[in-house]
Amino acid sequence: MSAEAASPSHWLAYPLGLARRSPTFVVGLGIVLFFLGLALLAPVIAPFNPTQSFSYEVLQAPGGRFFFGSDGNGMDVLSRVIHGSRYAFGIAVPAGLIMVGIGMPLGLLAGYKGGWLDEALLRTLDVLRAFPTIILALAVVAATGQSLVSMVVVIGLLDSPIFARVVRAEVLTLRSSTFVKAAIAVGNPSWRVMWVHILPNAILGATAQLPMRMAWAVRISATLAFIGVGIQAPTPEWGAMIRQGAEYVITGEWWVALFPGLALMTLVLGFNLLGDGLTDLLDPKRRGVGK
Amino acid sequence: MIKSFSKTIMLVIGMWATLAVPVVAQEKTLVMAMSATPKGFDPDIWVPGQIEAAVNLYEGLTRYGTRTGGNGKPEVDPSKIEPHLAESWTVSPDGKTYLFKLKKGVRSPFGNELTSQDIVWTYEKSAVQKRTGQFMRTAARIDKVEAISKYEVRYTLSDANRIFLGALTLHLPAIFDSVEAKKHATPEDPYATKWLALNTAGFGPYHLQTLQGGQQAVFVVNPNYAFKKPYFTRMVWREVPSPATRVALIRTGQVQYAEQIPFQQLTALRADNSVKVESVPGFGGATVRMNPRYPPFDKVKVRQAVAYATDYAAIGEAVFLGQGTRSRSMLNSPIAGAVSAYKYETDYNKAKQLLSEAGYPNGVDVTLEYSTNWWWEEPLVLQMQASLAKAGIRVTPKRIPSTEMLARRTINVWTVPFLTHLTSSFVPDPSYNMFLTAHCRGSSNVNANCDAAMDKLIDASVVERDQKRWLALLEQAQNLQADSATFVETFLPGTHEVFAACMKGYVWKPHNRLVWKDLTCAS
Amino acid sequence: MGEKGALIAKFLLVRVAVSVPVILGIVFLTFMLIRVGGQDPVAMLAGPMADEAMLTALRAQLQLDQPLLLQFANYLFRLVQGDLGVSWQGGIPVWGEILHLFPATLELVLLSVGLAALIGVPIGLRAATHPNGWFDQLSRFGSLAGFSMPTYWMGLMAILVFFYILRWAPPPMGRLSMEVVAPTVVTGSLLLDCILAGNWQALGSALAHLALPVACFTLLAAAPMIKQSRAILIEIMNSDYVRYARANGFSKATIRKMALRNAATPLLTFLGMELTSLLAAAALVEYIFSLSGLGQWGLNAILLGDFAVVQGYVLTLALFSVFIFMVIDLIVMLLEPRR
Repeated sequence: MSAEAASPSHWLAYPLGLARRSPTFVVGLGIVLFFLGLALLAPVIAPFNPTQSFSYEVLQAPGGRFFFGSDGNGMDVLSRVIHGSRYAFGIAVPAGLIMVGIGMPLGLLAGYKGGWLDEALLRTLDVLRAFPTIILALAVVAATGQSLVSMVVVIGLLDSPIFARVVRAEVLTLRSSTFVKAAIAVGNPSWRVMWVHILPNAILGATAQLPMRMAWAVRISATLAFIGVGIQAPTPEWGAMIRQGAEYVITGEWWVALFPGLALMTLVLGFNLLGDGLTDLLDPKRRGVGK
Repeated sequence: MIKSFSKTIMLVIGMWATLAVPVVAQEKTLVMAMSATPKGFDPDIWVPGQIEAAVNLYEGLTRYGTRTGGNGKPEVDPSKIEPHLAESWTVSPDGKTYLFKLKKGVRSPFGNELTSQDIVWTYEKSAVQKRTGQFMRTAARIDKVEAISKYEVRYTLSDANRIFLGALTLHLPAIFDSVEAKKHATPEDPYATKWLALNTAGFGPYHLQTLQGGQQAVFVVNPNYAFKKPYFTRMVWREVPSPATRVALIRTGQVQYAEQIPFQQLTALRADNSVKVESVPGFGGATVRMNPRYPPFDKVKVRQAVAYATDYAAIGEAVFLGQGTRSRSMLNSPIAGAVSAYKYETDYNKAKQLLSEAGYPNGVDVTLEYSTNWWWEEPLVLQMQASLAKAGIRVTPKRIPSTEMLARRTINVWTVPFLTHLTSSFVPDPSYNMFLTAHCRGSSNVNANCDAAMDKLIDASVVERDQKRWLALLEQAQNLQADSATFVETFLPGTHEVFAACMKGYVWKPHNRLVWKDLTCAS
Repeated sequence: MGEKGALIAKFLLVRVAVSVPVILGIVFLTFMLIRVGGQDPVAMLAGPMADEAMLTALRAQLQLDQPLLLQFANYLFRLVQGDLGVSWQGGIPVWGEILHLFPATLELVLLSVGLAALIGVPIGLRAATHPNGWFDQLSRFGSLAGFSMPTYWMGLMAILVFFYILRWAPPPMGRLSMEVVAPTVVTGSLLLDCILAGNWQALGSALAHLALPVACFTLLAAAPMIKQSRAILIEIMNSDYVRYARANGFSKATIRKMALRNAATPLLTFLGMELTSLLAAAALVEYIFSLSGLGQWGLNAILLGDFAVVQGYVLTLALFSVFIFMVIDLIVMLLEPRR
């Protein structure tokens, strides 16, 4: 690196510094951005329409026309994997928004006000803790039918109390911190304390959780699709693709399951790395004892 | 002297006896990888796995004869009905009264002999349960079943019909060893239905030994079986829910039979020397059905448009991998009387024309519902979606749980407008087939196929005794059905059984389930 | 001792009292959820030759035409008497099947979680002592990879590689080879029963059949263990009192012992949570390896709409979770005399 680049005023200084402080964050961000790019540009970069069936070219090996091969319905695996990232984000982002939209205010209020709201939240968390989440998701989706929307809503709802708990914990810590005590002592009304002093810091602390929850959302939607609920064929969703491909693995048509599986793993890994990296950067306590 | 002589005689006899005692037959076991252990064995009550087991546990008064098929292998001849548990029978001139003489010395594993009491008890039980057994009785128009003497049974029919003798080949209503069953009867359960649900007592070749739900069931041969002793004396039915795992097991020789193998894997399996794939076209057809009670399917032109807009060639390639037989009618060979009535071929222009004539010049939106009862449902639906779109029929596929499909397609419920279904039946009798599938009172009528003219034809064919008139009626009915276009006939998926390479003796039976007693494996 | 005994008794009473509404809530939720959708088991029960009259009759017989709350009341009434109903596939009593199948699932999960803890916790702790070092980075990456791989995917790949290609693992078709004589059922756990009966051949076969599923499951379970134990230990090392101890010049060994003792509580709590969540994930592993455990049965029941079985399955999992939490909290309470 030239001396110029190393200087603090160079435009690369900030990202480089970030990379040195937390390589996990950068790698994670890179992966997520890559798939996001795939998702946004899908109609342009995918060679074929993901649901177009080439009836006479079922289960072709990778190579030639179909770079990743074709699946059991004669659809191009590469195009389906690329479009699959749209569904991954299409599930993770709304589910994340629902989770934040419900969990954030709940956690704030519960942490700040306490009382019956706090108790109710803790009881709900108890129920959720003892209730096998995947079974709950499975049962709800099986009950409400093969709808992407219902799946997203279910995943978002299931995650909200967990997210609320994280927010609540942050709020509780902040409430006993000096600067908040000072703000109250000075005479700020409670809504102002909550809005100006607590909220921004609570958000910061909870933000690191968001990518992890989104990773979970992607994983559980793929698991549900694998079992056979939530996704209607021929939607190019990775879990559904793995489901179809699982049958072919043992007779040698490995490509149907491998590529969506790799994509799924990589994106989930990316989200997890991103979340881990964010935790590193935002919460100095977790970074470890001195270096 | 005499003492030593008799001693010698004793010695010689003893030696001879020891040497002459036939070598105890070694136990031959066949291990099967099945999708789930059977949940019950009473043929009157359907539960998963029941039929696959029951056809090997219970047998009927008659059986189908065999002939040599085109490929030199034995196959079922639906026109020949032979005696089985009944030794012979006579029929009255009006065709309504049959007198059966039972075979003597037929014993169950419990040692009890088959008598007319068993037959009568069976029908009484079915009458009380009011389930599948009772349905068969109604379909065959059986009015009374009476025991005349120890080995004679008289059936009185309400109408002479062609279904009756064929129905008697079936495993239901099952002929139970009523002596044994009655031991387990209680005042609340006089026909021992609880015991018969999880135990077996019949005169068939096999008998349940143990059942470990979720793991395996073991069946052993009936030592008193009255006919040729089966080669395999022990059948181990192993639960292996994942199809991929079943394939792995048969290819590595861990099992000698694997059930329900995905169609796409058969090609690879055929190339594998350690595996033998037996394929039979069968007569069940994969169809897409339209319910005329729901628009737009209330208009025959729309239905015909759908038939013209189907890309049969693509379906044959993509779904059935070029290995299916094209279905030519509601009935297909080997059913007697089948003709090529289904005359639709792919023609998008004609489809569009018919649609606009019916009042849909800009096409129409429909939902095609399917389930997971058969492997070909989803790939077929996707091909239909692609193909119908070219004629302006925009299809939204919708997969529903199999229980929901079962509930909604039930006779007189009929709330599925557009669905997939397999045309099939236990008895390869054309009248019976048509009755089940296309008659307003048929229990396999899943799409409200209620046409008065059609019903009349079917009813007439059931009781028609003259061969020529009967065939004419059948042809008329098939043409009428094809014209009404409520069924889109695609292909016969066929039956494909996957065995270890040494397996011989497989013969397809019309109930479309594996019969164990025919199998041999000279390894 | 008397005082401690009283403490324990009070704890248990309170806990049980609090758990009842939680369990009730779960049972209610499951009951309603499974009935809300379009699944209608009556048609399946009536068989393929049924007509509408038969369906109506069957529905009345099973009391499915009554209002939902009334059905729930009936269910509760029977539940407190110990009657969990019957599976609609063949009339098998749910309670008996649960007793029969649960030990198999428990065997799989306990073995896997135990192994995962034995592997994961030391790795996480070691990583925490040298944060951001190469070991730490490697273990973090490894654990994240474990997080990201779907269980069923791993299972399928494992079968492909270790059974089909390499022929090392036994065929994934049950818990015991068929040539081996099964031991008499005492506890329901195959391994324990083999040991109790002294049947070493069966024990070997059972272990071989468990190898692949346990390996997959352990990898899945180890990932969060590594991550969490690392996080816990780091937080402790940064806490005020450790800093104070270090400032006072305590030896590294003493500090480490102190830290570990304090880590025990959050670690145990975490282990308990992992155990309960993995119990549900076991269903998929059982499906792929045909292990005929409770999860496989429950999964099948959800997809087929076998209401009584689903309710029984969820109830079992919930009761087990509550029990584990209670035990863990009890241990924690006994370890920490502060309260």
